Amino acid sequence: MITGVAIVPSPPLLARVLTGRSVVLPELREACSVAVGRLVATGADVVAVVGAGPQTAAWDPEGRLDVAAWGPLLAAGGRSKPGLPLALGIGAGLLDEAGYRGPRAAQAVDPGSSSADCVALGAWLAGIAPRVALLVVGDGSARCTPAAPGYFDERAEAFNASARASVRDGDMAALAALDAGLGAELMATGRAAWQVLAGAVLAGETGFAGEGGLSRPTPGDVLYADAPLGVFYLVAVLDL
Amino acid sequence: MGRDPAGGGAGTREPGPLRLGTREFGPRERIILAIVNRTPDSFYRPGVTWDEGAALARVDEVVAEGADILDVGGVPAKPGQEVTAQEEIRRVVPFIAAVRAAHPDLVISVDTWRADVGRAACEAGANLLNDTWGGWDPALTDVAAEFGAGLVCSHAGGLPPRTRPFRLWYDDVVADVLDTVLGLAGRALRAGVDPARIIIDPAHDFGKNSWHSLEVTRRLSELTATGWPVLLSASHKDFVGETLGAGIEERLAGTLATTAVAAWLGARIFRAHNVAETRQALDMVAAIRGDLLPVRMVRGLA
Repeated sequence: MITGVAIVPSPPLLARVLTGRSVVLPELREACSVAVGRLVATGADVVAVVGAGPQTAAWDPEGRLDVAAWGPLLAAGGRSKPGLPLALGIGAGLLDEAGYRGPRAAQAVDPGSSSADCVALGAWLAGIAPRVALLVVGDGSARCTPAAPGYFDERAEAFNASARASVRDGDMAALAALDAGLGAELMATGRAAWQVLAGAVLAGETGFAGEGGLSRPTPGDVLYADAPLGVFYLVAVLDL
Repeated sequence: MGRDPAGGGAGTREPGPLRLGTREFGPRERIILAIVNRTPDSFYRPGVTWDEGAALARVDEVVAEGADILDVGGVPAKPGQEVTAQEEIRRVVPFIAAVRAAHPDLVISVDTWRADVGRAACEAGANLLNDTWGGWDPALTDVAAEFGAGLVCSHAGGLPPRTRPFRLWYDDVVADVLDTVLGLAGRALRAGVDPARIIIDPAHDFGKNSWHSLEVTRRLSELTATGWPVLLSASHKDFVGETLGAGIEERLAGTLATTAVAAWLGARIFRAHNVAETRQALDMVAAIRGDLLPVRMVRGLA
């Protein structure tokens, strides 16, 4: 079952070397560091990183981000091959920065997956070990402002706010109900990963709920929720 | 002129640090030599730092803009009214002393061909002898050795100081440049100049028509391949103006383009009037080459 959850975004700029001499968005980096630090401190059997990838598949848990794919000049230190998909690579890097040395799993999810498929994948992921810590790597809409990578879409704010509220309230059913089609239109590359999270937590609640059998919402601790560069970044921890 | 009949030229070497004054510059650093002329009649913006107060203020400015070395000259390169050694000393030496007092670690170069001037400048705190006229006065080499100063070994086509090229031709100008500057470097080594303080300079415009200067620029890698640090002195020169049909005030873009090409081909020292612009151009080349981390990268990475 899921014993801890951290949610982080996956901008390449979280790979410190990619931003050059400047530290970009230090408050976001700090929030991610805190979230992942709390996750690994839960002492699970395995940390499962889940994030968008070209297809739904498990990746080599020892893989890393190939930063040279984003910054070719940075290949001097040798390339990581095969490089993980961005979200999994960012997650792996955050675990490294947190000093995590324990067992890992790396699970990619096709960002076009239906909500139902995501929830099912989450339920499966929750069972890969008795105690699974989940590092959910995904982003909200990339269409938050006119300067955003995907320009401005007025529906982005409500979509992001909905995701944020679902996490804050521990309302996994609401998270699972995010509209996949709208998410795609809004370039919310983390929608699928968030719904894997919903499925993983809901599986625990239905399968292992105490007497009475009622789901107990687990409020999330939102550490960061903003779109300083036009992409919505959500950082949160769920203590289960 | 500029040949040493008693010995051969310096050979090639591994690129190493350049040591000038208290500073040490690595082989992948790009060094700016900022021009502050103590003349009333230099070719670019004549007289702008003729006044000592203005000149000292200009020093502070170029240091703030990223200059590593100051190049102080008291005699224009072009022909004109005679400037005696005594007058040259009067123009540059007290100024060098004042700069040294204000900037203890700034590398100071003196642009002169005269040993007497070089000696007085070193006594006042100069660290580098910019012998633009290609070793016309061999005793200048001995001054560099005596004071532990650096020496720029230049190619002026054998012309006497303050003369213009008149129908000069070369079978191969780059070969002639290499022969001359390595010959001067060899002479400097034999005189006891520290090899870590020797610079070579093809000296654009000096003893060259503008085709020759373009050729030297295009084939600058043949100079940098020697391993000796190469100085580019191209700022606002006639070859830029003639190439572009640009007046003296319209040569910054051509100067920076030449600077970028030379930096790409491995030049390490850049003599400049426009320090801030030159530093920016050099940083851009350095980042393209992978020698310098960019300041802040975010585009497409959010």
